[in-house]
Amino acid sequence: MPLLTLLVMVPIVGSFVLLLWPGSPPPLRMRNVTIVVLVFQLILSLVMAGLFDPAMPGMQLQELHNWVPNIGLNYSLGVDGLSLPLVLINAALTLVSAVITRDIDKRPRIYFAMLLLISGAVNGAFLAQNLLLFFLFYELELIPLWLLISVWGGSERAYAATKFLIFTAVSGVLILGAFLGLALLTGSVDFSLTPLDGERLAMGSQLVLLVALLIGFGIKIPLVPFHTWLPDAHTQASTPVSVLLAGVLLKLGTYGLLRFGLGLFPDAWALIAPWLAIWAAISVVYGSLAAIAQRDMKRMVAYSSVGHMGYILLAAAAATPVSMLGAVFQMVSHGLISALLFLLVGTVYRKTGTRDLDVLRGLLNPERGLPLTGSLMIVGVMASAGMPGMAGFISEFLVFRGSIVAFPVATLISMVASGLTAVYFLLLVNRAFFGRLAITPPSDPVADARLDIRLAAVAPRETFPALALSVAVVVLGLVPVVLGHFSEATTTALASGLGGVG
Amino acid sequence: MSDSLPLPIQLVWLIPLYGFSGMVLSLPWASGWIKRNGPRPAAYLNLLVTLLAVLHGSWIMRLVQQGGPQHISFPWFEVADLQLRIGFDLSLTNLAAVELVTFLSLVAQVFALGYLDKEWSLARFYALVGFFEGALAGVVLSSNLLMSYFLLEMLTLSTYLLVGFWYAQPLVVTAARDAFLTKRVGDLLLLMGVVALSAWAGSMEFSDLYRWSAEAHADGRLSSLGATLLGLGLIAGPMGKCAQFPMHLWLDEAMEGPNPASILRNSVVVTAGALVLLKVMPLLRFSPVVNTVLLVVGAISAVAGGLVALAQVDLKRAFSYSTTSYLGLVFIAIALERPSLALLLLLAHGLAKALLFMSVGSVIATTNCQDLTELSGLGSRMPATTTAYLVAAAGLVGLLPLGCFWSFGLLVQSLAPVSPLFAAVFLITNLLTAVNLTRVFRSIFLGAPHPKTRRAPEVNWLMALPMVSLTVLVLLTPLLMQRIDPVPGIADFSWIVGLLLVGSGATGVVIGTMLPLDQFWSRSRLKPLRAIQDLLAADFYTERIYRATIVAFVAGLARATDWFDQIVVNGVVNGLGRLSIDSAENLKLSVSGQLQTYVLTVIAAIVLLLSGLSWLGQAGIS
Repeated sequence: MPLLTLLVMVPIVGSFVLLLWPGSPPPLRMRNVTIVVLVFQLILSLVMAGLFDPAMPGMQLQELHNWVPNIGLNYSLGVDGLSLPLVLINAALTLVSAVITRDIDKRPRIYFAMLLLISGAVNGAFLAQNLLLFFLFYELELIPLWLLISVWGGSERAYAATKFLIFTAVSGVLILGAFLGLALLTGSVDFSLTPLDGERLAMGSQLVLLVALLIGFGIKIPLVPFHTWLPDAHTQASTPVSVLLAGVLLKLGTYGLLRFGLGLFPDAWALIAPWLAIWAAISVVYGSLAAIAQRDMKRMVAYSSVGHMGYILLAAAAATPVSMLGAVFQMVSHGLISALLFLLVGTVYRKTGTRDLDVLRGLLNPERGLPLTGSLMIVGVMASAGMPGMAGFISEFLVFRGSIVAFPVATLISMVASGLTAVYFLLLVNRAFFGRLAITPPSDPVADARLDIRLAAVAPRETFPALALSVAVVVLGLVPVVLGHFSEATTTALASGLGGVG
Repeated sequence: MSDSLPLPIQLVWLIPLYGFSGMVLSLPWASGWIKRNGPRPAAYLNLLVTLLAVLHGSWIMRLVQQGGPQHISFPWFEVADLQLRIGFDLSLTNLAAVELVTFLSLVAQVFALGYLDKEWSLARFYALVGFFEGALAGVVLSSNLLMSYFLLEMLTLSTYLLVGFWYAQPLVVTAARDAFLTKRVGDLLLLMGVVALSAWAGSMEFSDLYRWSAEAHADGRLSSLGATLLGLGLIAGPMGKCAQFPMHLWLDEAMEGPNPASILRNSVVVTAGALVLLKVMPLLRFSPVVNTVLLVVGAISAVAGGLVALAQVDLKRAFSYSTTSYLGLVFIAIALERPSLALLLLLAHGLAKALLFMSVGSVIATTNCQDLTELSGLGSRMPATTTAYLVAAAGLVGLLPLGCFWSFGLLVQSLAPVSPLFAAVFLITNLLTAVNLTRVFRSIFLGAPHPKTRRAPEVNWLMALPMVSLTVLVLLTPLLMQRIDPVPGIADFSWIVGLLLVGSGATGVVIGTMLPLDQFWSRSRLKPLRAIQDLLAADFYTERIYRATIVAFVAGLARATDWFDQIVVNGVVNGLGRLSIDSAENLKLSVSGQLQTYVLTVIAAIVLLLSGLSWLGQAGIS
C-alpha cells in the first residue's frame, strides 16, 4: 500500500469531499468530518513511524512514478529522520487547529477544506524527493493559507494577508529560480536530491543558487530582515490559523534549508557557514529584543518565533551531528510550544476580548479568571524559555552544544538571547496573569477600569488540546529519546555529508 | 551499576521522585478538580511522601556507612558523541545533605499546615513545595554537572512560583520576577559553562570532569583565559542560588512569599547552591582569578550583608540578609579550600536559620505583622517562640557553644595563619550578626506590648511542634557535628580563637543592647549618619543601580529594535509595496493593447534571464 501517497492524498481528498458535500450541512458536521479525516491522517502518520526503521539514515518507504519525465518532474516520495517528525507534528497540530475551531459561522465548508488542503500539501512538501514536486506542494499550501488569513482574519486582515502573499510568493519565485537555475547550469533536468560537488557545478554558481535558496527559505522561516510579514499575519489570523502557521508552516522554511540548502550544496554551505552563524545570531537577538517591546501578546509570541527559529539556522550552519539533531528537536519543540502559546493567547482573547498587556491584569484569579489557562501559560513560557524538563531545554541544549564547537561566539550570543526569552515571557505572565484581576483600558484607567469582571469559565473540553500539547512538551523534555531515536541516524548522516565543517 | 547493591541503594532515584510525586499527587486539589473536604488531603499526601524520602535517605545512609560510598548512574539521552546520564553520588556528605533537605522540608511542611491554615490555595502550595523538595534532593545527590544544572533551573522555577504564591499582590509580582531573572542570569552563565565543558570534556560526570581539567591544564589544551571564563560561568550559578553579591537582591524580595517556603529558602536552597559550588570547585583550581572572585564576593557579601541586615525594619528581610552574609562566609571557606569546614558551617547555619525563620513565622502568623517597629513585648506571651528565637540566635552567633561557635572556631583557627584578613571577616560577621539578632530580639520580644501584640497567643500545635523539635535539634547540633567529623573533633582550636569569637559575639550583643530602638530616633537627625542608614536600608541602592543600568540598557535596546523594526524594516517593505502599486498604476496608462509590445516585453525578459544565467554558468566554469 502506498502509505506516503495516502498521507498526502487523504487530507486533500477530504478537502474535496467537504467542498462537494451536498446540500448545506451545519458547521458542526463539517468540523466533525474534518476531525475524522485528520485523526485518520494522524493514525497513518503513526503507522508510518511504526514502519520506519530508525537505524537507516536514508530515505525509506519510497515511491517513484514518472510524471512528466521531459522536465524532470517525478512523483517520488520518501521519508527519513528529518521529515518523519515534521509529518507527525503536521498531523497533530492540524488536528489541534480543527478541534479548537469552534465558533465558525462564516463559510465553514471552505474553511475546513482549506485546513485539510494545507495539511495535505505540507505533507507532500515534507515527503517529496523531487525538487519540482516539493515546489508544487510548497506553492499549493500558499493560497489556502492566504484565504484563511484574508477571509477569517482580524480587522487589518487585508493588509496582513497581502503582505503574507507577496513575501511568500517572492520566496517561491526565488526557490523555483534556484531549482531551475540548477537544472540549467548543470545541464540536466535531474531534479532528484543528489548533492552537488565541485565537478558538476563550479563554486561561484553554487553560491549564487544557494543564496537564492537561503533568501527564499529565509522569508518562510522567517529570518531577520525578511520577517515583517509574520507578526502581522499572526495578529490578524485567527487562533487555529496561527497555531498552524507557527507550528507547521514555518517549519517548511527550515526543512527546505536543511534538505535543499545543506543537502544539495554541501560545499558552498560549508563556505558560507560562518556568515550564516552570524545571521542566525542577529536574527535570534533581534527577535528577542523586538519581543520585549511588544504590548500585544500575540505579536510577542510571533517575535519569539523569529528568535527561536534562528537557532535552527545556527545549528544548520554548524552542521555537527549534535547540532543537526538539535535543529530537528528545535523544529518539533518550537512547533509544539508555539502552538501551545498561540492557543492559550487565543483563549485569553476569546474570553477577555483583548490581548493588550497594558490592559490585562491578574488573569490567574482562581474564581473569576482563567486559572488553568494561566497555569498552562506558565508551562508554555517556561518551556519556551528553555526550562529543563520541557522540550525547549533539550532542543536548545543540543543546538548550543553542537554549535559551540564550530561557532563559539555566535553560540554564546544566541544563548544570551535565550535569556532574553525569559525576560519577555516573564513580563507577559507577570503583567497579564499576576496581580489583581482587572481589565483596564489605558484610555482612562480610573473610569473605565473593570474590576468586577467575571470571565466565563473555560470548559474542560476546550482545555483538552492545550493540556495535550503541554503533556507532549513535558514528555519530549523528559524523554528526548522518543524523538532522538527516529532522527539520529539521518541527522548524523546529514552532518557527515558535509566535508568542510563537520 | 552492579546488581549486587542493596535494593534501597538501587532505588536511590526515588528520592527526588518522592518530592515530584508529591506535586503530582497534589494536582487534583490544586487545580480544583476535587473540591470536597478542602485541600488538606494534598498536604497529607505530601507529608507522607516527604516522610518516605526521609526514611529512604536514612536507610541508604546506614547502608553507605557500612558499605562505603556508591555511585549509580543511568543513561538518559545518548546520541552521536553526546552522552547525557542521570547520576547519583552516594557519599556520606551528600546523604547527610539529603537528610537535611528532606527533614527540614518535612518540618516546614508541618509548620505550613498551621501557618497556612486558612489559605485557600493550600494544595497549590504543597504541590510547589513537593516540586521544590524533589529538585533540591536531586541537586544534592547529583553526580553530574548537567543534572545539577537541570535541577538548579527547576529550583529557579519553583522559587519563582513559590515567591509568586500570592500573585495578586503587586510587591509579590516584582519579587517573583526579580527572583527568577536574577537566578536566571546566574543559571545562564552556568549553562554557558556546562555547554562548553560538555563540548570540550565529553562526559558530564564530575569525576570525569576533574580528570579532564587536570589533564587539559597539564597539556595546555585549556588556556588560562578559557579556564577563567569557564570558571566564572560555573560559579555564577551557585552565586545566584546563594544570593551572593551582586546577585543577592532576590532573596530579600523573596521574603514576600509564604513563610514556610522562606524557611526552606534560607536554609536548604542556599545550602544546595553551596554544595554545587563545592562540586565544581576542583574544576576552578587552575584559575586564580576565579578564586579571587569567590573570595571578594564572599567577603563583600558577608560584611555588606551583615551591615544591610542591621538597617532593615522588615522582620524577614533582616534575616534574609544575614543568610547572604553567612553564605559569603561559606564561599570564603570553599575558596580557601576548607570544604569539610564549609560543610559543617552549612549544617549549623541551615538548622539554626530554619529555626529562626520558624520563630519569625510564628510571630508573623500570630500578629499578622512583620514590621519590627510595630511589634514588642511578645516575650512573655509567646514563650515557645521566644525560646526558639533565642536558641536559633545562639546557634548562629559564635558566643555560646552551639553549632556556629564551633564551626567558626575551626575556620578561624585554620584560616588565621594563611590569611588573617579573612579570619577577621568571620569575626566581623559574627559581631554584626550578634548586633542584628540582639536588636531584633529587643524590639519584638522585650518592652511594653504594642496594640498589635497585646493579646498575642502562642501558636497552635501544628506550628509549635516542628518549632520545638527543631529547637531541640539545634541544641544538639554540636553532637551531630562531632559525629560527622569525629577527628580531630569540633573543639580543635586554640583558646585564643575561642576568646576572640566570644569577644566579638559579646561585643555584638552589647552594641545591640545599646542601639536606640525608639521609632522616632531610628532615623538619625545627623546628616552623615542618616545617609549611611538610608544607604544600608536601601541595600546600597542596588535595585536602583540595576534599574538604571542593566534594566534600562535592555529596555532601551528593545525599544530601539522595535523602532527599527517598525520604521526601517517595515517601512522599506511598505515603501516597496507602495512603489509597485504606483508603478502598476503608471503602467496601466502605458498599455497600448498591441500584441507586439507584449511579445516584445516577454522576449526581452527571457533573453535577459537566459543571458544572466549563461553568464553565471560561464563565470562558474572559468
